[in-house]
Amino acid sequence: MKTMNLGLSRDDRPILIASLFILVILVAGTAYTIARFGSAPLLQPAYLLQQLQIGAFLGIVAAGMMIVILIAQIDLSVPWTLAAAAMMATSIGGPLAILVGLGVGLLIGLVNGIGVAYLRVPSMIFTLGVNAVMRGLMVAHTGGYAPQTTATGLMRSLASERTLGIPNALFVWAAVSVLVVVILQRMPLGRYIYAIGNKEAAAYLAGVDTRRVTVICFVLCGLAAALAGVLLAGYSTKAYQAMGDAYLLPSIAAVVIGGTNILGGRGRYLGTLVGVVLIVLLNSVLSIMDMPEAGRQVIYGLVIILMLLVYGRGERVTN
Amino acid sequence: MQDAVPTQHAFLTLSGISKRYGGVRALEDVDFACERGRIHAVLGENGAGKSTLIKIIAGVVQPDAGSMRLAGNDVSFAAPSAANAAGVVCIFQELSLMPDLSVADNISIASPPRRFGLINGRAQRRRAEALLAEIGCEDVNPLMRVRDLPLSRRQMVEIAKALGQRPQLLILDEATSALTSADVEKVYAMLARLKSEGVAILYISHRMHEVEALADRASVFRNGRHIETFDKGVRSTADIVQLMIGRDIATQYPAKPPHRQVKPVLALENLSWDKHLDRISLSVGSGEIVGLGGLDGQGQKSLLLALFGVLRGVTGRVTVGGREVRTASPAAAKSSAVGIALVPEDRKTEGLMLPMSIADNLTIASLDAISTGPFVDRAKERAAVKRGIDSLQIRIGAPGDAVSTLSGGNQQKVVLAKWLMTEPRIILLNDPTRGIDVGTKQELYRLMRALADQGAAILFYSTDYDELIGCCDRVAIMYGGRIVRELEGDELTETNIVASALNIDAATSAKARAGAAHA
Repeated sequence: MKTMNLGLSRDDRPILIASLFILVILVAGTAYTIARFGSAPLLQPAYLLQQLQIGAFLGIVAAGMMIVILIAQIDLSVPWTLAAAAMMATSIGGPLAILVGLGVGLLIGLVNGIGVAYLRVPSMIFTLGVNAVMRGLMVAHTGGYAPQTTATGLMRSLASERTLGIPNALFVWAAVSVLVVVILQRMPLGRYIYAIGNKEAAAYLAGVDTRRVTVICFVLCGLAAALAGVLLAGYSTKAYQAMGDAYLLPSIAAVVIGGTNILGGRGRYLGTLVGVVLIVLLNSVLSIMDMPEAGRQVIYGLVIILMLLVYGRGERVTN
Repeated sequence: MQDAVPTQHAFLTLSGISKRYGGVRALEDVDFACERGRIHAVLGENGAGKSTLIKIIAGVVQPDAGSMRLAGNDVSFAAPSAANAAGVVCIFQELSLMPDLSVADNISIASPPRRFGLINGRAQRRRAEALLAEIGCEDVNPLMRVRDLPLSRRQMVEIAKALGQRPQLLILDEATSALTSADVEKVYAMLARLKSEGVAILYISHRMHEVEALADRASVFRNGRHIETFDKGVRSTADIVQLMIGRDIATQYPAKPPHRQVKPVLALENLSWDKHLDRISLSVGSGEIVGLGGLDGQGQKSLLLALFGVLRGVTGRVTVGGREVRTASPAAAKSSAVGIALVPEDRKTEGLMLPMSIADNLTIASLDAISTGPFVDRAKERAAVKRGIDSLQIRIGAPGDAVSTLSGGNQQKVVLAKWLMTEPRIILLNDPTRGIDVGTKQELYRLMRALADQGAAILFYSTDYDELIGCCDRVAIMYGGRIVRELEGDELTETNIVASALNIDAATSAKARAGAAHA
């Protein structure tokens, strides 16, 4: 039974709660800044746009992560897929930097997909291994230092310049979002993704080529991480070691906070968007508050657990 | 309720029990009682409230209203463990075994025998052996993983596990639906013994002949209400069916067409796989329903899976419409060049994505057909979903509801409708009526015959001999991975099926040969 009387489906509830929480963050943060500095930067469009520009990198990673989580898998190779794509793009890409970066992501995604779908290695282990391998390869390639070469003009333009006052990175994020929504809602692939996440055996016995779909999902996730890497390198003008490490947990958290079931099969992309915004704003409020790093980690982790506890209520009644 | 049956000696008494799930009324003001030393059948269609009744008695769910007395004391069970402690033990329709633990582990899962605080593996094994022997299942090795047992054996393990809790009130919810005939006999013997020991037994089954054979008393439920309770022999089977469905049923099975020569659509030659399929040759014609019979686990399921491309390393020839085909995967098997559909054994884990909507489940196998370019065509999708629901008369709320909200029978119809959308030439059915109510079963029988009349070739495995006789034009009996006999026309009788299923002729002749060799 749907709770039609509220116009809310089971998938909408987490999105609503996360949206309310964003409001709470904005209100509490603004109250704090007014009391302390007498200004309200959180309500200024310029400040928010700047935060969203930084959020775009996380948003793109999370879009890919969501697709993989929907089929009840996980991609832990995201940090070094992102870093490897950025490094290869800047070091050997030349004028084709972006294509080279995306190629790296595609390749890693392909390897992940084949390992999980055909070799039947659990994705948690396989992608973790791939992450370590990529890290080693990159250290070997760069000698352990940041590559001295810089990002191309196009990369920098996409990541840090603005068009009509809006950061270009937001356009890239929007394009990725539209693509994901179209895949999930309008294409057979999207149905297969949800079906596999719900019951792989049933999808397989319905004649769905589950292995091919799994490979495609990992490729999409690899491409998303690579795109984020290329943009991030453009944003900071060069690639650097461990540049992707800060994106693994937040990308998973954004997907889960947005209501996507970590065990697969359920979730809307709108939720992931809301989850990304929530995490970005939470981070910026904590930094405005001059919260020390240790405190930020604690609050950050607690928020994720708290949100999941809130979602968990009501679910138990279903069986 | 005006029960003809006195309840002063009742072991368990329910008064005024009601339960709602959201907007759905599962039980409404139910009075019910059962006594020690009696087998009490609970009858009703799916959705009649039997399962909810059982769950309330077993402490799985709590009633919204009403009271419960057990052995003269007021009780209310907050959890299944509380019910267990009071001697109420349940064997549920959905098996509750842990697939990766051993049989012995599973049997003693609630209270394993301990020594020095640690689980005593040897005592646990002996306990499992003793309990399995009690139900005549000495052939099950207690150290085997449950995952490696066929469904019928698992169900026997489930029964042994329940027995191990020394029940005062034993509840069997469709506990025989996956059993072979031989095992059913063993369960009957066990129930008779428990009854003589004074255990109260509640028995839920859709198989009327089981109820007739076993029950001392029966209660009929319909739409969440207790309709009537009566002693054995008071009501005829026809009366009981009438009470359950509240409407007339003319004939059990649709009429079969007269015997005729049909053109084979599906032909198998020397199909073999591992140890489970041994040189199977069989043909199924257009418009024909061919049954697969025999004891459970003789290769019938493997045969269906082999045809559907699930198994690796199948040898032999399969031709469809005269052309040899290789089905390397279900995707290949359902392709229009081959056109095979499979209704799998377990609709909840293999047939459906339960949390997904009815519409999504219906279209998942035929998305290519309702897509324009790379996109799903919403209009075509809606039309296809409506066609599927209408043509099989699936009773649903809205197409967007989760398929898990439907009754078992309607869920099975969704599985079938999903496959009919792919317009298959060959339909494989793996025990499709398991755990489905009488009314829906008959609808499925009629549907099968209608599909055959439209030219489909149907291969139908069932554990219910009655069903095979009633539905099939021809039945192939399997034993040890081989087809030992094909029965058709007047030969198609229960006696012949049972005799072939036990492979009696072959066994005696083998013994004779062995005797001759010794002499």
